[in-house]
Amino acid sequence: MDIATMIFNGISTSSILLLTALGLAITFGLMRVINMAHGEFIMIGAYTTYVVQDIFSKNLPESFFDLYYIVSLFVSFGVAFLIGVILERLVISRLYGREIDSLLATWGVSLVLQQAARSIFGAQPVNVKAPSFLQGSIGGTTSFSYVRLFIIFVMVICLLGIWLLMYKTSFGARMRATMQNRSMAQCLGINTKVMDCVTFGIGSGLAGIAGCSISLLFSIDSTLGTKYIVDTFMVVVLGGVGKLIGTFTGAGVIGISNITLETLTSASIAKFLVLILVIVFLQWKPQGLFAIKSRSLDE
Amino acid sequence: MSFLKKNTKNIVFTIIVILLALIPLFADIGLLKSSSIVRYGRYITFAIVAIGLDLIWGYTGILSLGHGIYFCLGGYGMAMYLLMQKTGGKITDFMQRGGFTELPWFWKPFLNLPVSLILILVVPGLLAALIGYFTFKNRVRGVYFSIISQALTWAMYTLFNGLQPYTNGTNGITGIDTIIGSYYDSTNIKILFYAALAALVLVYALSTFLLGTKFGKILIAIRDGENRTHFSGYCVSSFKTFIYVLSAIFAAAAGAIYVNLNNSISTSEMTISFSVSMIIWVAVGGRGSLIGAVIGAILVSGCEFGISSAFPDMWQYIIGIFFTVVILFFRRGIVGFVSDAFQRLTALKSKEGSAA
Amino acid sequence: MSERTILRLDKISVSFDGFKALTDVDIDVKENTIHFFIGPNGAGKTTLLDIICGKTKPTAGKVMYYPSEGKSIQLTGTKEYKIVGLGIGRKFQVPSVFVNLTVQENMELSLKNGRKVIESIFAKASESDLERIDEILDMIDLKDKKNVTAKNLAHGQKQWLEIGMLLVQRPKIIMLDEPVAGMGKPETYKTGEILKKIQESCTVIVVEHDMEFVKMYSDRVTVMHEGKVLTEGSVDAVLSDETVQKVYLGRGGERNA
Repeated sequence: MDIATMIFNGISTSSILLLTALGLAITFGLMRVINMAHGEFIMIGAYTTYVVQDIFSKNLPESFFDLYYIVSLFVSFGVAFLIGVILERLVISRLYGREIDSLLATWGVSLVLQQAARSIFGAQPVNVKAPSFLQGSIGGTTSFSYVRLFIIFVMVICLLGIWLLMYKTSFGARMRATMQNRSMAQCLGINTKVMDCVTFGIGSGLAGIAGCSISLLFSIDSTLGTKYIVDTFMVVVLGGVGKLIGTFTGAGVIGISNITLETLTSASIAKFLVLILVIVFLQWKPQGLFAIKSRSLDE
Repeated sequence: MSFLKKNTKNIVFTIIVILLALIPLFADIGLLKSSSIVRYGRYITFAIVAIGLDLIWGYTGILSLGHGIYFCLGGYGMAMYLLMQKTGGKITDFMQRGGFTELPWFWKPFLNLPVSLILILVVPGLLAALIGYFTFKNRVRGVYFSIISQALTWAMYTLFNGLQPYTNGTNGITGIDTIIGSYYDSTNIKILFYAALAALVLVYALSTFLLGTKFGKILIAIRDGENRTHFSGYCVSSFKTFIYVLSAIFAAAAGAIYVNLNNSISTSEMTISFSVSMIIWVAVGGRGSLIGAVIGAILVSGCEFGISSAFPDMWQYIIGIFFTVVILFFRRGIVGFVSDAFQRLTALKSKEGSAA
Repeated sequence: MSERTILRLDKISVSFDGFKALTDVDIDVKENTIHFFIGPNGAGKTTLLDIICGKTKPTAGKVMYYPSEGKSIQLTGTKEYKIVGLGIGRKFQVPSVFVNLTVQENMELSLKNGRKVIESIFAKASESDLERIDEILDMIDLKDKKNVTAKNLAHGQKQWLEIGMLLVQRPKIIMLDEPVAGMGKPETYKTGEILKKIQESCTVIVVEHDMEFVKMYSDRVTVMHEGKVLTEGSVDAVLSDETVQKVYLGRGGERNA
């Protein structure tokens, strides 16, 4: 593999990781909720894409087919957002401040969501067809596929969107205020319940978009989420919980080292080595790459 | 005074052990299928794992999502020995397919029984000591420890699957006999069943003893106030490492017995989801009480078998919802629920008594 | 009052992410005194305790400990639990006893024997240890609460239990972070009397806001302001100091500043 392809693959893998981890960076980093069902929201996004595709191909003339993908990007966000909001109201809202319990309860939820996917779509994997404008690639000997370029594009849009939302809007300020000091935010007249709910919804919705993007590359089945859950957590923890720049860097480091090691050994050994390296790194810096220094006793 | 004080708990445990001990007899007279002996035998090994997990989670506050690793290391160790017994020390099919002409180096010690038995406990123990020493010394704790243990499980799972010629990948090691002879001899199975039960009693007794000593109080102190424990003059990380290693050894021993009663082991026992199942056992039974761990392991596994053989699609819904509800509303699991209910009942009765 | 220095802070500085919490702090603590650190919020009092007990590492400077004549130990760089072993106990601001253990168990945990893993499995409290625990429980008025689970104690009782747990360790120095916060008048008085008794056998360092309390029980007072030592001396000398009145008392008067 030549260097250009390797770098491109590294960036591509990193951008998938970042996309899948972005929602977790919000729910874990901001809300301190350990959402083990995060992977299942990715799965929901992917299946939503499949359903939208199905509706388009059955009900609309063929010339409209390509549009399905653009529509599904929004619909997967919407569906995942909605299910996220329901989950927040039913389960998560009772678990603020109980990190370990939030981890366990959401594991139960993930079991239910996986089984639901199997009951609805069956155990066999399904596929989506990339719209014609994303088929093919550019470049000669080193080729960059449109799909992977598109995923990088989606990632950049999401990252930018989240950054703008969180740091440049009054909504974002209220959101951060709620997450940092709930009772103070209430005193300032912020409806913290709505904030919790919407924030968790956005985190879940982002996972939905990630699922929609991934569906272009891999087939979809009920175990899709379990393949990503460990990686996404490692990205967030490696970067340093609560820092967007950390998540960005974490995804980059893990993605690129994965691709680099893959050229040296096999894919599974590379994966093993990367995980071990991250774990060893966390021994050295338990707070991750971008630590927030804190004076409180129990951080 | 709460119901299920120490004595009551020990009585409940004794009753459970007696009931379990009767299973082979029930099978003999046809009340139970003969296959239930191995099945309950496996549940007993699960109960051993659950006790170990409860020691670190319920009592010390360390949530490990990776005890499957230790269970499997013990299990694979035993399976490797048993496989070598079967092939007479010769190289296996999967190794040949992987291009080996002679036995890989780390298989060789498993030709010998005493060495195998030692390795079965020492390898997982050392791994746990290594992981525990570093993570606890570096104050990795709470959810961070859980996330790391989960990642380790995933890493090991990937490794075992990836090393097909050494481990037979996802297929695992199958078709082996037991340590005392054929798997299909009902006497052998019964002996193994009682051996598992004896191991459970031993592990329970040892754990109960430990929890009664100052050591046990220190574990609870660490759970409730880790920082305060430092300032009472304790090296918290060495206590955590010790109990973590002990629980890993329990899991490894359970895994080794499990293989005898299961005839095989594969990487499906190394998945994150199997490791979390172990947590589910403890949570459902009642974290922070050994008897809860035992009840949880046997009950949940029993229900899983019963429900998933009758309604294959329902089990995951049921356990998923049930587990979530337990975490949300019944943090002390079945044991906590029963003891609270009993307490309320006695309170009510004494009220009635004084009114009359 | 002895004039022997038992603890010396030497040019201690510490910063958190660029924020300077302490700058060049020099303090000598004399043996068998009740030494108060006072100052407005954010002056760095609690951080000082954190540094002495090893919870926070200073960016510069060192802490020296002189347990007896001619003996000196550097505390900076020593692990927390080892510092405890050297005879320096600390009580935190929020009462932090072990809530699920009984009063007696809490006290026994603080005994010096059985602090290693294996020892702890076979450790039994000796007769003399149990007697000592009884004595201390008597002093802190918890003798009849021996078998009560700590979470069922009143706020003040938890504070005393924690002080009791420190005393069991036979410390040379004990540090208390706002021991009378949230206490009523009689409880505050009682706490002060306990401190007086403790002083006979060890050195007491207290961080406190309650000026009434400081006036009644202090031997020596260090006033902190913005991470620096403003002045040091007897309580009367300190309170009549002009700069102190300006930066500290001027803002909140003698009420709980």
